Amino acid sequence: MNYRPRPNFDRPDAETVQRTRRMLGWLLPLLLLQQSTIIFGRDSGLFDHVLGIAAWGAVTLSLLWWLLGLPFRWLSKRDQAILNDERSRFVSGDASRWGIVTLALVGFGMLIAQFWVRLDVGLTIYALVNSSLIVTFARLSWLNRAEPDEDE
Amino acid sequence: MNERLGNRLKDRRTELDLTQGQLAELCLVSRKTINTVENGIFVPSTLLALKLAAALGVTVEWLFWIED
Repeated sequence: MNYRPRPNFDRPDAETVQRTRRMLGWLLPLLLLQQSTIIFGRDSGLFDHVLGIAAWGAVTLSLLWWLLGLPFRWLSKRDQAILNDERSRFVSGDASRWGIVTLALVGFGMLIAQFWVRLDVGLTIYALVNSSLIVTFARLSWLNRAEPDEDE
Repeated sequence: MNERLGNRLKDRRTELDLTQGQLAELCLVSRKTINTVENGIFVPSTLLALKLAAALGVTVEWLFWIED
């Protein structure tokens, strides 16, 4: 049996972080929907706007943290190596490419659309950033989908 | 060009009675990495190929080859 040293016993290990990463991806649309109701609520006041922007900032930074695979300093060298192994970096890179392509396509689409429709600046930024994030994380979740069986 | 990386990873691993998890521990990568390399989904870097070969006690050329 393999015991973990006491200072780390209640902290997530590499396997837990990987499992959480897989599950978090599917929560993203829900989070974005929740943010938009605060940010773009018709009768929301200044406090709700500030709260919404803070929530958006926090979620975006957390997502980037997951995506970029920054080191989890409390983890052991082994766990850090597993979390940032070359397949994991490849998957992040691939998902980021999808996100950049989405950003370009949606941006271009909006550029064309503005000839016919008057676009709201806040809504445009929100749609541009979040469409890119959604695609990135959908791709990331797809590539990181459930752990295959031992010999599958 | 439709080249693919063939490998004897699973044969050698089972010969040594190692699980994917144990091999992953030896190479400090995730089990999914081992699984995807075995199934030809993920092409490993030279560094990982060398680590795998060393962990399995064979040469890289024996373990991996290019399939047409």
